[in-house]
Amino acid sequence: MSNDGDLSVVGLTFSYPGSAPALRGVTFEIAAGEVVGLIGPNGAGKTTLFLCLAGVLPVRDGRLSVCGLNPALPDERRKLPLHVGVVFQNSDDQLFNATVFDDVAFGPLNLGLSPDEVRSRVTESLATVGLSGFEPRVPFHLAGGEKRRVALAGVLAMRPSVLFLDEPTVFLDPRGRRELLSLLTKIPGTKMIATHDLEFVLATCTRVLLLESGKVVADGQTRAILADAELMDAHGLEVPPSLK
Amino acid sequence: MTLAFDALATIDSPLARIDPRWKLAALASSLVAASLLRDSRMVAVLLAFSMGLVLAARFTRKFLLTRLGAVLLFFAPFAIILPIQNGVTGFYSAITLTARALSIIFLALALVATSPFADVVKAAQAIGVPSLLTRIALLSYRYVFLLADDFARMRTSIIARGFRNRTNRHSYSTIGRVTGTLFVRSAERAERVAHAMACRGFDGRCRAMNGFHTRLFDIVFCVAITAVAAILVISDRLIQ
Repeated sequence: MSNDGDLSVVGLTFSYPGSAPALRGVTFEIAAGEVVGLIGPNGAGKTTLFLCLAGVLPVRDGRLSVCGLNPALPDERRKLPLHVGVVFQNSDDQLFNATVFDDVAFGPLNLGLSPDEVRSRVTESLATVGLSGFEPRVPFHLAGGEKRRVALAGVLAMRPSVLFLDEPTVFLDPRGRRELLSLLTKIPGTKMIATHDLEFVLATCTRVLLLESGKVVADGQTRAILADAELMDAHGLEVPPSLK
Repeated sequence: MTLAFDALATIDSPLARIDPRWKLAALASSLVAASLLRDSRMVAVLLAFSMGLVLAARFTRKFLLTRLGAVLLFFAPFAIILPIQNGVTGFYSAITLTARALSIIFLALALVATSPFADVVKAAQAIGVPSLLTRIALLSYRYVFLLADDFARMRTSIIARGFRNRTNRHSYSTIGRVTGTLFVRSAERAERVAHAMACRGFDGRCRAMNGFHTRLFDIVFCVAITAVAAILVISDRLIQ
């Protein structure tokens, strides 16, 4: 697909049943290969935006194009898992099989790949996240950082061209955070990282979208936005210590 | 948090090495026999046979005793009430009922708990159990431990705030609210899990890699169990 990795969102509005809109006219574009930070206070709509872009939540208002596919159309939405991967905030929500192998294989099996191809992808993804040999382990018994990496391996095994990471550093100790940082810089493709960890954004993202109450209130270069004390303060955020 | 069955499945035993598909098939035939037997002597033979299988499974004594205790506790009221109501006949009925229940528990433990739970689920799917049921079983097994963790955290939290479980209205209403919150959290978690599955292409169909290999011994084992079950049922009918 020629536009694999591109994202285009125009006027996206989304409401949960019986609630005020969680997203209000969100508009932005992301080019293939860009790494974009999505920041904002709690309840800004970051996770909802990811779920809309991944085709999990039904979009009715707005025009979306994710890797050339429109998540609003059922036929195209079904193809999204081939192109888009989501790493959820809580790895326990994502790990539901009895072994690490089965969990990483879950996505490739759903893509209808042959058993040999599934095995090869599992081996490759676990090697990428530094967990070779973890195949027979029980995911629920792993440490927080290992769980996060298994969750990431499960997504990478589907070889997505766009990766959404929701609060990837939450529950991680400093070592786990450092390992994740190093890992993410090695993974190619378009990435959107929603997080409160602004130092992490500074280290990984070239561009930042600031979301508040479902609206994009700032979009620009990472350093320019994160160093703007007035903007950060107005939206319940703080300039990261390294920029003070 | 421990996956109780998976910990047992690591015990090396002749039963653990059998293909779980054949063990499930053997379990099905033996359970049918257990439910059809009427004569208490035949039930006693089945109980002895199932105990033999449990011995072959090499379970730990503690594991077996806790399961036995739970089963016996459940059947204790019948063992008391039936003899009081029906005298000697009731006594024999109570014994037969308990022996049948123990046989079923022993058979299930020996033939299911000797394989990792994931393999049992895959085996069930491989022999034709609908994937919806196997997926529900797997997710239930997986998330019961997370719920137990949630419950343990909430319990610690209320104890830290001075809660003591007593037989009064406050205790009962607190337990009620904690249980309610646990259910709400379960529903929210279920939704997040469903989202995570959808993002990885899950469309309601359960796909699994079948890595099972049948050996001659697996077939012989299944046929032998089925034959014993059939002989017991036929003998039971002849006695009747």
